[in-house]
Amino acid sequence: MILPKISIIVASDKLDKLIPAVTLASSAAITGWEAELFFTFWGLLTLKKDYEPSEVSSDYKIYQEALEKAVASNSMPGWREVLAQGRKTGKLKIYACSITMGLLGVSEEQLDDYVDNIVGVAYFLNRAKDSDVSLFIS
Amino acid sequence: MKTDLVVDARFKSCPGPLLALAETVSKAKPGQIVKLLATDPGAPLDVKEWASGVGHKILKVEKTENTYEIFVEVSR
Repeated sequence: MILPKISIIVASDKLDKLIPAVTLASSAAITGWEAELFFTFWGLLTLKKDYEPSEVSSDYKIYQEALEKAVASNSMPGWREVLAQGRKTGKLKIYACSITMGLLGVSEEQLDDYVDNIVGVAYFLNRAKDSDVSLFIS
Repeated sequence: MKTDLVVDARFKSCPGPLLALAETVSKAKPGQIVKLLATDPGAPLDVKEWASGVGHKILKVEKTENTYEIFVEVSR
């Protein structure tokens, strides 16, 4: 049986964008799908070892506390935990956008170990072209 | 129903129940029956899609009070 593939471009470091992107990709991988995440612009920041995204989008600040409480109480899994479980399937790939690395002055050494590769847009497009689900989350 | 393993994912929101179930099933043996307890209303349909994707069998779904009991037979 050939299972579907999902490709997501993650362009934000806000938790209300990052968590859904990671949840979709990891849940897909756990269900047997292939999943590809391409982190670009502010989304790339979340791949830095020393960077902990902690904010929600400014329009939804009133829900920040509720989100923090849900994660702290373990009723909602943290995004890194969700990502790690998706990665364990071997079906979830994480790409860092090379152009953004230059723009934001991020070096390869600063990236988390779970980044599969630093790639350009042509590479990601080629990987994503046969996806059944393609999303841009920003 | 005979149950070999129980995953208690009550009060965990999506994708918590699915992650917990997948983790336990990955370590289980073929033929074993895993019971998932979940309160997340999305869990029954999520588990159904997951099971059909990875090839495990849902034997039964029951609802008691606010808790779903989902029995999964590990196929591989």
